[in-house]
Amino acid sequence: MRRIWVYVELDENGVTDLSMQCLAKARELASQMDSSVTAVIPGHGSSSFKGEAIRRGADRELIVDSPALRPYTTIPYKMLLEDMMRREGCPDILIFPSSTTGNDLAPFLSASLGTGCVCECDTISFEDGNLSVGRMEFDGKVLTRYKVVGDERPIVVTLKDGIAEPYEDPSRSGSSVFLDPEIPEEAMIVKVLRRDVARRSVDLRSARIIVAGGAGVGSKENFGLIEELARVLGGEVGASRPAVDAGWASADRQIGQTGVVVRPELYIACGISGAVQHRVGMMNSKKIIAINTDPSAPIFRFAHYRIVGDLTKVIPKLIKLLGERGERFGEA
Amino acid sequence: MPYEIFVFVREVWDTRDLVVDPLDSSGAIRESVLSCRFEPEDLNALEMALKVKDSDGSRVTVMAFGPPREVDVLRESLYRGVDRVFRIEGSGIEGLDAFSKACAIERALKVVGKFDLMLFGVDVVEGENAQIGSHLAGILGLPQATYVESLESIKDGFVTCKRAIEGGMEEVILPLPAILTVGVALLVDDPRAPRPAKAKLKLLHKKTQIPSIQLEELVTPKVLVLERIPMPAREIESKDIDPEDEGALMRMIEELKEERILR
Repeated sequence: MRRIWVYVELDENGVTDLSMQCLAKARELASQMDSSVTAVIPGHGSSSFKGEAIRRGADRELIVDSPALRPYTTIPYKMLLEDMMRREGCPDILIFPSSTTGNDLAPFLSASLGTGCVCECDTISFEDGNLSVGRMEFDGKVLTRYKVVGDERPIVVTLKDGIAEPYEDPSRSGSSVFLDPEIPEEAMIVKVLRRDVARRSVDLRSARIIVAGGAGVGSKENFGLIEELARVLGGEVGASRPAVDAGWASADRQIGQTGVVVRPELYIACGISGAVQHRVGMMNSKKIIAINTDPSAPIFRFAHYRIVGDLTKVIPKLIKLLGERGERFGEA
Repeated sequence: MPYEIFVFVREVWDTRDLVVDPLDSSGAIRESVLSCRFEPEDLNALEMALKVKDSDGSRVTVMAFGPPREVDVLRESLYRGVDRVFRIEGSGIEGLDAFSKACAIERALKVVGKFDLMLFGVDVVEGENAQIGSHLAGILGLPQATYVESLESIKDGFVTCKRAIEGGMEEVILPLPAILTVGVALLVDDPRAPRPAKAKLKLLHKKTQIPSIQLEELVTPKVLVLERIPMPAREIESKDIDPEDEGALMRMIEELKEERILR
């Protein structure tokens, strides 16, 4: 019997989507090879989400609800997990969501324990009883598969968005255990001075059409064109991280590594070069139109329609043509 | 007050615009057809260190694993104004996993001395090296901040920085010594953009001897490559649309409508 732990992250709506995917994947692994799935849910206010991780695939959940756990910093969380492993027994596999928290904590914790760690995995499976993980490398041209050797436990992995479909079974039951480990004051040596997180005002994941702007948009004023095109198409506005950093779009509209991963029917990338950090968030869109002045921008390599040109000229044209089309179809 | 700042830099495969198949028929990397570059996030980390040096005269020390393939990242670092460089060498050092590499850096640090601030590039998603900085922080038990976008200040024994988090950012303050992993999303004309090599420094350091730190008996990797599998190329039917041609733009709109993508 193997023991799989899944670190569950919460946001204001409960278990995050990526954590749900990790729970679903752990469930799948458990059915492949006789294993138990334990959800580890630290955070301030985590007890109010009691039972959710069970419905999402865990056999039991370990909840630590303490005001000392907000906001997240590495060292107290590492000590907390070590403490939980001492009390509850060491798992064989410890799964984190590949988030800024998961990828912060997993390699720190594994190195401190001296165990193997692979971050940002796209695949995970058992083969002949051994765990193997895979990661897309070389610009998506190669899947590199890794195995973790040695007897040190737990093997620590972080799993990327798309690892599994979230799972829900309201009839599942399991135990909820509340733990109250002590976190020494001296662990709190890193202080979070300020935290600016946009309240999610928009659900880009369910948008059919997304018009997104990047560094190449150039100004807040030009970003208005992105918004206008999105309005005309009945779509949502998205942005790359540089555009968010520049203050042209709110952070909840950021697509990519530290933003959301989207798969709309149509993605119009305007002034976005297509760096890998952005690409991972949108490359599975059904149709992609790219508008960029630089013909060698990587975005053109996976765009269905390549428009090499100045977005401040192209977008008004598109808006005009879409307007004409509307009228024409309206008349028909 | 000047600080001792350490930056770890890497030479990595340039995986942008890969037109060649990176693997041969046996699944090995075709080294001869691939080119290399200075890991871009490492360059951002280097720039962050050099900015501190510019402002307070801190000393910047850079290390890399050697030997270089195509781009000598240590020489490139000298050309940009760092004070000291060291090449960490040992048999099989290239094939190590991130954890063993972090162990090797820890041992090299013992040779070179103590640092107040250690900077690493955060790994890019498809990077072949992941999370070395965080591993080292875990090994040394030092405070860390990951996904750091900007260094706000370093003074009175503390470093303040901004880090990216889902849906926003946070500003954190860490006591020194500390480790930061740097991931910068750059704007055009961004002040955080890495400086180019300086001609004067190029002349000065063209032949500078780069000291090496020889390590024996490296830590055995815990993570091994099982196999590399070529992925089918994404077959995308792609069309060039001339933005000057309204007819072409209109046809694109009509096609999207036919496919019921536009309604």
